[in-house]
Amino acid sequence: MRWFRTAAVAAAAVTLAACTSADETSAGPEGELVGSGTGDECTIDSPVPVGAVLSLTGAAASYGETQRNGLELAVDQLNEAGGVTYELTVEDDQTDPKQGITVFEQFTGSDPQSVIIGPTLSNTAKQTDPIAHEAGTPVLGISNTAEGITEIGNYVFRDSLTESAVIPETVAAATEAYGLQDVVVMYSNDDAFTESGYEAFAAALDEVGVEVSETITFSKSDTEFRALLEQAASSDPDALVVSALIEAAVPLVTQAREAGMQMPIIGGNGFNSPQLMADAGDAAEGVVVGAAWNSTADDPLTTEFIQSYEDEYGAQPDQFAAQAYAGMTLVDSAVRAGCSGEREAIRENLAGLSDVPTVLGEFSFTDGRDAEHPAVVQVVEDGSFAVLE
Amino acid sequence: MFADSSTTFTLIALTGVFAYSFYAVLVAGQLSLGQAGFASLAAFASTQAVPDEPMFGVVPPLAVGIVVGMVTGAFAAFVLGLPVTRLRGVFLAIATLGFAEMIRIVLINQSWTGGAQGLSVPKLVGPPEAWIAVGVIGFWFLRQGGSKLGRALAAIREDELAAKAMGIDVTRYRLAAFVTAGAVAGLFGVLWVHFSRFADPNEFSFAFAVDGLVTTVVGGSTFFLGPLLGSGFFTAVPELQRAVGIEAGWLRPFIAGVLLLVVVLFLPDGFGGLVSKLGRLRRWGGPVLARGSLVPRSPMPDRTMDGTSPPPALPAPKLPPPGDEVVRMSGVSKDYGGVHAVRDVDLEIRGGEILGLIGPNGAGKTTLVNILTGMTEPSAGEVRVLGVRLGGSVPAHRVALAGVSRTFQHSKLFERLSVLDNVLVGTHRVAPSTLLRRMLFLPSARRTERQVLASALARLERVGLAERATTPAGDLAYGDQRRLEIARALAAQPSLLVLDEPAAGMNHVEAAELSELIRTLADDGITVLLIEHNVRMVLDTCTRVVVLDFGEVIASGEPDVVARDPHVVEAYLGTAAEGEAELAVETSAHEADGSGEQ
Repeated sequence: MRWFRTAAVAAAAVTLAACTSADETSAGPEGELVGSGTGDECTIDSPVPVGAVLSLTGAAASYGETQRNGLELAVDQLNEAGGVTYELTVEDDQTDPKQGITVFEQFTGSDPQSVIIGPTLSNTAKQTDPIAHEAGTPVLGISNTAEGITEIGNYVFRDSLTESAVIPETVAAATEAYGLQDVVVMYSNDDAFTESGYEAFAAALDEVGVEVSETITFSKSDTEFRALLEQAASSDPDALVVSALIEAAVPLVTQAREAGMQMPIIGGNGFNSPQLMADAGDAAEGVVVGAAWNSTADDPLTTEFIQSYEDEYGAQPDQFAAQAYAGMTLVDSAVRAGCSGEREAIRENLAGLSDVPTVLGEFSFTDGRDAEHPAVVQVVEDGSFAVLE
Repeated sequence: MFADSSTTFTLIALTGVFAYSFYAVLVAGQLSLGQAGFASLAAFASTQAVPDEPMFGVVPPLAVGIVVGMVTGAFAAFVLGLPVTRLRGVFLAIATLGFAEMIRIVLINQSWTGGAQGLSVPKLVGPPEAWIAVGVIGFWFLRQGGSKLGRALAAIREDELAAKAMGIDVTRYRLAAFVTAGAVAGLFGVLWVHFSRFADPNEFSFAFAVDGLVTTVVGGSTFFLGPLLGSGFFTAVPELQRAVGIEAGWLRPFIAGVLLLVVVLFLPDGFGGLVSKLGRLRRWGGPVLARGSLVPRSPMPDRTMDGTSPPPALPAPKLPPPGDEVVRMSGVSKDYGGVHAVRDVDLEIRGGEILGLIGPNGAGKTTLVNILTGMTEPSAGEVRVLGVRLGGSVPAHRVALAGVSRTFQHSKLFERLSVLDNVLVGTHRVAPSTLLRRMLFLPSARRTERQVLASALARLERVGLAERATTPAGDLAYGDQRRLEIARALAAQPSLLVLDEPAAGMNHVEAAELSELIRTLADDGITVLLIEHNVRMVLDTCTRVVVLDFGEVIASGEPDVVARDPHVVEAYLGTAAEGEAELAVETSAHEADGSGEQ
């Protein structure tokens, strides 16, 4: 049956290409993107165009850079494997939604891509993803964790676990490991990412019955926390629960330890960066972070990924690189599943993916096109992340 | 080449609207960074107001949002403007920046805004809406440029004190510019969120405001197309870089930065300045110059009159009848710390007089003039000028509107404006407002503008500067600048003309011509107060002379009587009377060294 469907799609595509060859907006190698064979044997003659919209400059540049590395590494490896090749175009949104909109228009219009990866930030995604959805181009978010992204439409996917997926696991594991009774929650309330992280923490703490004796807010640009920490220490909590970006996390953790607060600090995804250990040093010991990616896993996919990333870029990959890398794995799986690099086929086959082996673990999309794969709860021990037992 | 030009062009239009909100205040010389706050407030207000379906079946949802947004922006600007438009320069920038930051924090902490996670809104704005909006706003500023309001704002930008002396209510006009900026920023906020489908308080940040300011300055803040040119530039640079294939990364912002630097260094007036310099656009787009068709082909219509009747003159305000009280000062003193600049002066000026006020340096002449024109508050005493009682709360522009026009000891011209524009600002007191009529192209607006122009040109003729009408005032020779100041003061059709050392820097011939001019003004019924160093000129010109020394009146009366007064001679020569001859010699010396006596 499957050969029949493939042939039918190919025939339809050829007809379509013939009909629309004069139409600029659907120009490009549409018809040539349908190949023969399935799965590993799938062969498509033309490279499948993949557009990535990342924040390579501006405020989020540090994330965009490792995302680009992860994508390029994956594309290089996939192209080497052959059968299906990818033509990756990386564009910069300058951490500016205006640029994101422009590039998305380009990737869905004059320079059509079969799938768009990105953008780096959730708030940009809320402005760009509707463009892709309306144009019928599938988009795969690799770092969007805010609520309401995949709800934009059925062309919008993401492989990044939301805070509401990771944090309950973090809280449950930490509660069990440390026997938490009451905690103080601190978060920066002027950032979409940390605020939704806070909401997830509050819900999860409520779920496991840990009392929140105090909730303290600060700004994402703050670096001085001594007074707030004093206030937090006054209720003598079993742990500090913090939702902050890494820029605030480092001084907060450092100042807490300086003030003699030795209790565990449970962080949101913002803490999930090697920068924490590098900048906070000994103070980072005992910080608990839930993560989408287990960098200490010993399965061959992960170790090979880390090895080749280090060979290529001379640095440790972070979670952003891993999610980017996994994003290409998913795109490749979807393309091979239907042996078609066409937009509609990719959308359909992405939605159907389940239990795909990736560096993030066995990966499936939920019915709402969100990521479903095991999270990992880590604790900083001796200067590096270890799985919290 | 330009990928998906519709988005690019929409962005140009939207960024242009935002830039116009900076233009609105920059034309009045105000540096405000509050526009991001107005835009944010308006955007979120509109998200609450925009209905899902057309209102009453006909009003589109976007129109409702725009009205709500613009009213919100204007209202916020009004409330903020009341206290802060009194601030100048960087202080205004800091205050408005603080406001915008406050709005951002407040909106983040509200639940109905979605906090830091923002709010998704329907897409209602595409290229047509954006271009209609920027077209309307651009048209507004084009038509504002040549109106009375536009001239007043340009005058405030160039020299606030001189603007006040021309009867311009600086506080009110600055507030008007500020409120306009608020309304335009509000419009932008509404359009932007309904274009990007997402309202996020964090987006309207400090950096966002600075982007808007830079766009406007690079585009040009004195030419109505400037904001649009700036917006085109900043939108096109990343597009072009993508088109020529520069790899994404640090190189692009670097190139953009270098381009920005080049533009700022070599085009200090922005692209708008370049365009208006290159093209004839200057004539119909300049900040103050009336629309091209309104400026006669020859700068001197009276000389090339070709049978068409001259426009009817502006209705002249009534002059006080000869002999009536124009100014009454009694017991006026002014102390600066321990220095008594003016001591217990009684002074009366009557209609039709040419009163000369003389005295050695530091005698208190200019202080007295500043008190009389409402620019300095007296420490004691009563002053009544043309029926206006001066006191603490009477601003200088009220005195000017009552009919007092003045020149300054040191020329205070609007130097970057043309000679004609300077005089047009002078008509502020008598010219009717044309802004709304101009917007609708009503013929009556044109008629009024012809009258105003004819009136201004007539003043220039009178002082002999008609040939220089299009020269920037700052490029005039010193003596011409003094004459231009007089023309500007005359354009207000004053009852009382105060000339503060008008002959400084003039040679004998010019001074004699000036003297003649002053006498003809008096013949027209204008009362003149002449402050001069050139004693001979004062004695020749004036009907009465008052002599001031050490802040006190030491003599008053007919010129030849005063000249022989022993107190006067002593004040000037430092020794007891040696006669009129001596005084005459001394005055010659004054004339010779001219402006050195400032």
